[in-house]
Amino acid sequence: MPMGHTATAQAGSGGLTATEHRLANGLRVVLSEDHLTPVAAVCLWYDVGSRHEVKGRTGLAHLFEHLMFQGSGQVKGNGHFELVQGAGGSLNGTTSFERTNYFETMPTHQLELALWLEADRMGSLLAALDEESMENQRDVVKNERRQRYDNVPYGTAFEKLTALAYPEGHPYHHTPIGSMADLDAATLEDARTFFRTYYAPNNAVLSVVGDIDPEQTLAWIEKYFGSIPSHDGKQPPRDGTLPEVIGEQLREEVREEVPARALMAAYRLPHDGTRECDAADLALTVLGGGESSRLHNRLVRRDRTAVAAGFGLLRLAGAPSLGWLDVKMSGGVEVPQVEAAVDEELARFAADGPTPEEMERAQAQLEREWLDRLGTVAGRADELCRFAVLFGDPQLALTAVQRVLDVTAEEVQAAAKAQLRPDNRAVLVYEPVEPAEPADAADTDETDTDAHEGADQ
Amino acid sequence: MQYHPQPAPGTARPWAFPAPERGALPNGLTVLRCHRPGQQVVAVEIFLDAPLDAEPEGLDGVATIMSRALNEGTDKHTAEEFAAELERCGATLDAHADHPGVRVSLEVPASRLAKALALVAEALRAPAFAESEIERLVRNRLDEIPHEQANPARRAAKQLSKELFPATARMSRPRQGTEETVERIDAAAVRAFFDAHIRPSTAIAVVVGDLTGIDLDALLADTLGDWSGDTAAPRPAPPITADDTGRVVIVDRPGAVQTQLLIGRIGADRHDSVWPAQVLGTYCLGGTLTSRLDRVLREEKGYTYGVRAFAQVLRSSAPDSASGATGAAMLAISGSVDTESTEPALKDLWTVLRTLAAEGLTDEERETAVQNLVGVAPLKFETAASVAGTLADQVEQHLPDDYQAQLYARLAETGTVEATAAVVNAFPGDRLVTILVGDAARIEEPVRALGIGEVSVVTG
Repeated sequence: MPMGHTATAQAGSGGLTATEHRLANGLRVVLSEDHLTPVAAVCLWYDVGSRHEVKGRTGLAHLFEHLMFQGSGQVKGNGHFELVQGAGGSLNGTTSFERTNYFETMPTHQLELALWLEADRMGSLLAALDEESMENQRDVVKNERRQRYDNVPYGTAFEKLTALAYPEGHPYHHTPIGSMADLDAATLEDARTFFRTYYAPNNAVLSVVGDIDPEQTLAWIEKYFGSIPSHDGKQPPRDGTLPEVIGEQLREEVREEVPARALMAAYRLPHDGTRECDAADLALTVLGGGESSRLHNRLVRRDRTAVAAGFGLLRLAGAPSLGWLDVKMSGGVEVPQVEAAVDEELARFAADGPTPEEMERAQAQLEREWLDRLGTVAGRADELCRFAVLFGDPQLALTAVQRVLDVTAEEVQAAAKAQLRPDNRAVLVYEPVEPAEPADAADTDETDTDAHEGADQ
Repeated sequence: MQYHPQPAPGTARPWAFPAPERGALPNGLTVLRCHRPGQQVVAVEIFLDAPLDAEPEGLDGVATIMSRALNEGTDKHTAEEFAAELERCGATLDAHADHPGVRVSLEVPASRLAKALALVAEALRAPAFAESEIERLVRNRLDEIPHEQANPARRAAKQLSKELFPATARMSRPRQGTEETVERIDAAAVRAFFDAHIRPSTAIAVVVGDLTGIDLDALLADTLGDWSGDTAAPRPAPPITADDTGRVVIVDRPGAVQTQLLIGRIGADRHDSVWPAQVLGTYCLGGTLTSRLDRVLREEKGYTYGVRAFAQVLRSSAPDSASGATGAAMLAISGSVDTESTEPALKDLWTVLRTLAAEGLTDEERETAVQNLVGVAPLKFETAASVAGTLADQVEQHLPDDYQAQLYARLAETGTVEATAAVVNAFPGDRLVTILVGDAARIEEPVRALGIGEVSVVTG
């Protein structure tokens, strides 16, 4: 258990510190103390997501995440949920393209229980995994898919745009929820193999944040996780790199029973973890974040052609990130009118760059978002894991806000010029149709921005 | 791996829901403040005594348009400038109208609180309500309505209100108005509503966050203290009544792959001494994945991603207020199931309710629920925004400032028998209105055969 970084606050970290440790079996551990509230967050990131899935088994990483709550060697049935909640804690798990995370926030005096539970399933899940929980959770996940994607207007927009933006065969071509057919096809043996391949201490990062005694916490971690054997069965994900720009405008029109026309688009942007990605984030914020953004002012306030218009950023480390445009149109407005206005605003921004006031606003907004994320022990634990898993250095989480504040207007302009272009986007247009024959189950609709990240337990 | 026995808990560190400090500004504005070390994003909640039932006849939605217009310019800033100035502070500002009144919520880093609060004060003191902006907000609102209609959960909620409350009651109609009423709203109507109901003497501001180094008195005097207005007579709060005759209404969605369920009635609010027992019992019924409903519907049968039972206060008034305690909460069970499973899921759901009524909760269930509800408090109230939200809810519902703190003590004292009685009273199988948003052609006949009440079908 060699000690890594020492606990000295870095500039721009808001006084937060984190220490790093590694068990002999390869489990990386990040600890961060904060005694303001008697709570402690446990967060465990496994370096596996939907990008590791193979053809015919989309959705397996997420379905598997559900199975992690169905008992393990010493925990019966729903015991994981029951024990955490009965201890006054809260918990969940989520699956995204790049990782699967599990987290518990506990009152301080129940921290040891959460560590014991996470270790038990990391080390002995297969002792409990059976056909019954597989069949049950398959049905639950299919209903999750229906509830969040298939039974809501525009629900499958994200899935459609992702499939357009990443070519066939690319590891990010499909989203974490997977297809109904693949969910049906998954077998208990698939789940067992998935666990044996990806769920190992040397493929995970554990962070514990809050009202903790670091020495005691580390001793518990050694006690519960230390005897779990490491293994190297993992296959690296297929390469996700792509050329900087798509090179053409990809386009799909969807005719569905939706309440209004919509124009959505995904722009190919730099990988997460780069300064260029932070610059792109600021560009998207100036253009489409909040109520003083250029697109909101143009489409909602002045032209009055849209109900809502904005940009979001899906940060990805193993493939180009996506800049996500979403415009829901006012009644009677035609798509070309809105599309022309969007292109005009983007071209103008690429030509002139942001004003100093716009830079100040965008940086202030992103700074507040970071303060929010680091303002809870659970948020901090998640960010420490994120930077450790994706970029190899948890300390980067504590200085992320400073990096966003360091980006210059010139860099923001350059990011827009390079990539916010019509030949670097996939476009999805929704054209409403009247209710007709019952729709095909797999082909109904909505967008839930939360769902971009993945799928909760 | 080497197995170890389940660890025993350590010694709990005491935690209490924060006690706010209450005061008033010379203009009559009541202020609650609460210092939360480490919370760098400060939350400000302002409650304005402008309930939906104060909206003039035929102008449902005027409170909503007025709330949104507070964000759209003042005597000093145009709408675009105002939004830009707020975002320059890194702030978010939301205002929304609901049955008890209007809530304005500001979140901003502590270092920029003064500037952001000055903008909020400006919006309350001298909103522009420019005709062109109101016209835009009205059109925007009209454009939103079809989106809400299309969303199964929103559609179900709208139908349940319509079914439960008498047509004459404001509560029976959509909070943000209908196409017919919103179309009628103009700048004059918004101004009139503002003039009639918005004043500092009936408003309450809650400020929570890390206030280290902030002279809040001086800051408030310079901002919200500058807002003036007259006084108002206490507002009557008519009693809330509802028709909970057991029945089923299907909102037809041909081809829907799921049925959205919303099963509800009204019941006790926080002024009723049964509230803690109702909270406890409702949690045992459907508060989480391991509660009775999901144990069967999700974890045994796989019919759903999750079904929840909850109580949500609609409007509340204190027993010692002019109208007495006339409040109520919406008690409901909500979730969605695949179309095929609609009938078996409802059947199981009623079996859960009947078994609960016949056999009651177990001591173990009650114990786990108390441990969770009381134990999660320090987690739940980690952020300034969550503390401010709860303090503002208390104010809005005429509750004492230590209500939440006392609630935890009362939950811990509530026994299994009381919790059982409360939840069985809250969810009687024969007094529930069931809304199903789904494919009537596939679900109507099987649901009719269940005998949970008369079934009618309305178009989506």
